[in-house]
Amino acid sequence: MKLKPIIINTFIESVRDRILIILIVLGLLLMASAKIIQPLALGEESKIIKDLGLSAINLVSVLIAIFVGGRLIYKEIEKRTIYIVLSKPVRRWEFILGKFFGLLLVLFVSLLILAIGFFIVLLLTNIRADFTLLLPLLLLIFQLAIITALAIFFSTFVTPIGASIFTFILYFVGHLTRDLKAFAAMVKNPVITFIANLFYYLLPNLANFNIKGMVVHNVPIPPSVLLLTILYGILYSAGLLFLSVLFFQRKDL
Amino acid sequence: MTAIKIENLTRDYKVGFGGFKKVRALDNLNLEIFPGEIFGFLGPNGSGKTTTIKLILGLIKPTKGKITVLGKNPSDTAIKRRIGYLPESPYFYDYLTAYEFLSFCAEVLNAKENKIDELLQLVDMKEARDVQLKNFSRGMLQRIGVAQALLGDPELIILDEPMGGLDPIGRKEVRDIIVNLRKEGKTIFFSSHILSDAEMICDRVGILVKGKLLKVGRTAQILSEEIESIEITAKNISQNQEEELSRISSRILKSDNKVMFIVSTPEERDKVIKYIIATGGEIISVVPRRKTLEEYFMSFVR
Repeated sequence: MKLKPIIINTFIESVRDRILIILIVLGLLLMASAKIIQPLALGEESKIIKDLGLSAINLVSVLIAIFVGGRLIYKEIEKRTIYIVLSKPVRRWEFILGKFFGLLLVLFVSLLILAIGFFIVLLLTNIRADFTLLLPLLLLIFQLAIITALAIFFSTFVTPIGASIFTFILYFVGHLTRDLKAFAAMVKNPVITFIANLFYYLLPNLANFNIKGMVVHNVPIPPSVLLLTILYGILYSAGLLFLSVLFFQRKDL
Repeated sequence: MTAIKIENLTRDYKVGFGGFKKVRALDNLNLEIFPGEIFGFLGPNGSGKTTTIKLILGLIKPTKGKITVLGKNPSDTAIKRRIGYLPESPYFYDYLTAYEFLSFCAEVLNAKENKIDELLQLVDMKEARDVQLKNFSRGMLQRIGVAQALLGDPELIILDEPMGGLDPIGRKEVRDIIVNLRKEGKTIFFSSHILSDAEMICDRVGILVKGKLLKVGRTAQILSEEIESIEITAKNISQNQEEELSRISSRILKSDNKVMFIVSTPEERDKVIKYIIATGGEIISVVPRRKTLEEYFMSFVR
């Protein structure tokens, strides 16, 4: 198994890339802006600042997954670094999984930095932080796993820009699939119902991962929902990675 | 056993919209590379050299034909530990330092870390050990490329244009490295469009043009087959003698009191020499002009 060197290599290569640092700084600045809007919040400041912080972390980490992830495989092909790697005793599936976990590691570390920034902001604004604030971040990791797998999946057969655009579209659509289900139940035509249902099950359901609102408004979240969502994230990512490897095995480099 | 055995290898690329059109990059190639030799795979740009190398490494699959590398199929990951490969004009990870990159390669190859400094020394890159690769010049990257190809102490070394991007000193160093590798018993297969390099170090060469192998053989043999002309230089040659000799030789050049007769066959050479001696002339030198590989190669390309 040659996963570890590829994971570490992907991690170092991504961490030293300027785009990552820019995005993280952007996220930290967004959260810091909470201090400015605090006087305007009129008693709702706790909810607004928590919401702002979690949204900033969400936005930045999704952008990292889409932009860094979209370039991940293609850059290797374009710059021919992949020839170096695959001419050595590395299997193609090891390469794909190494890239995936490498980027996931980058995302995890970015998330950690952003989360620390978030808790510092909460401290500075005298807002009581509790453990439930970590739950949306926990689910975010699994949502990011799906997005990373999507970006890798697309980048095995389209250009980096194409992969980033497709991933972004699916991320967007992934938050609306519930409407698709509702639509399927509403329509009378069985063919359309079937198609709508098919897409509902095929497309990633990302809305389930978004529990930020519930946490901010102190709505309790049953553990079974959390576990099922995590399980869904793992299975959906695994499926995408399986397809990526399938495509990549046949690919002419 | 052969190091590389290529049988009836053909490779087509799909081109254009929908990939309906096909371009044949490699046409029925048959080639054997023997252990311990330096083989120069020569041809102009776009002749199919890199395609052949990618097929040998299993990076792409053949349309037709068969390749055996070190007795195995190229798709066998295990044999890759025994192969070192330098791609054409290599680019590596921008943000890694030379040492980090090589230690990544070492880990993948299960090679010893202490080999890295030894190789950095060999390719004269010790100073640049901790510099990020994005700051490297083309020639420096080429040197790092050579280092990573040798890292796993491979028995078969495949180099795609190893002298590309190097200055004359760098090229000499790479030539020396290749010759030393042969001394260690390694097999070296390298592609080049720079023929003088190949001419100096290759045991055998193959000439590939437009996907077809036109010629393969010992470098010296290919050269000796092709004596282009013989130059006979003499002095004390009178006008009469010269007129007489102009009937045999194809060209006559004069400078000061010396005259050079250029003939194309050994028979003509003998006639010219006999006549000069018989009529009191003095022979200064007789030099066979061989086609250089370059000229040889160009005669095929045209």
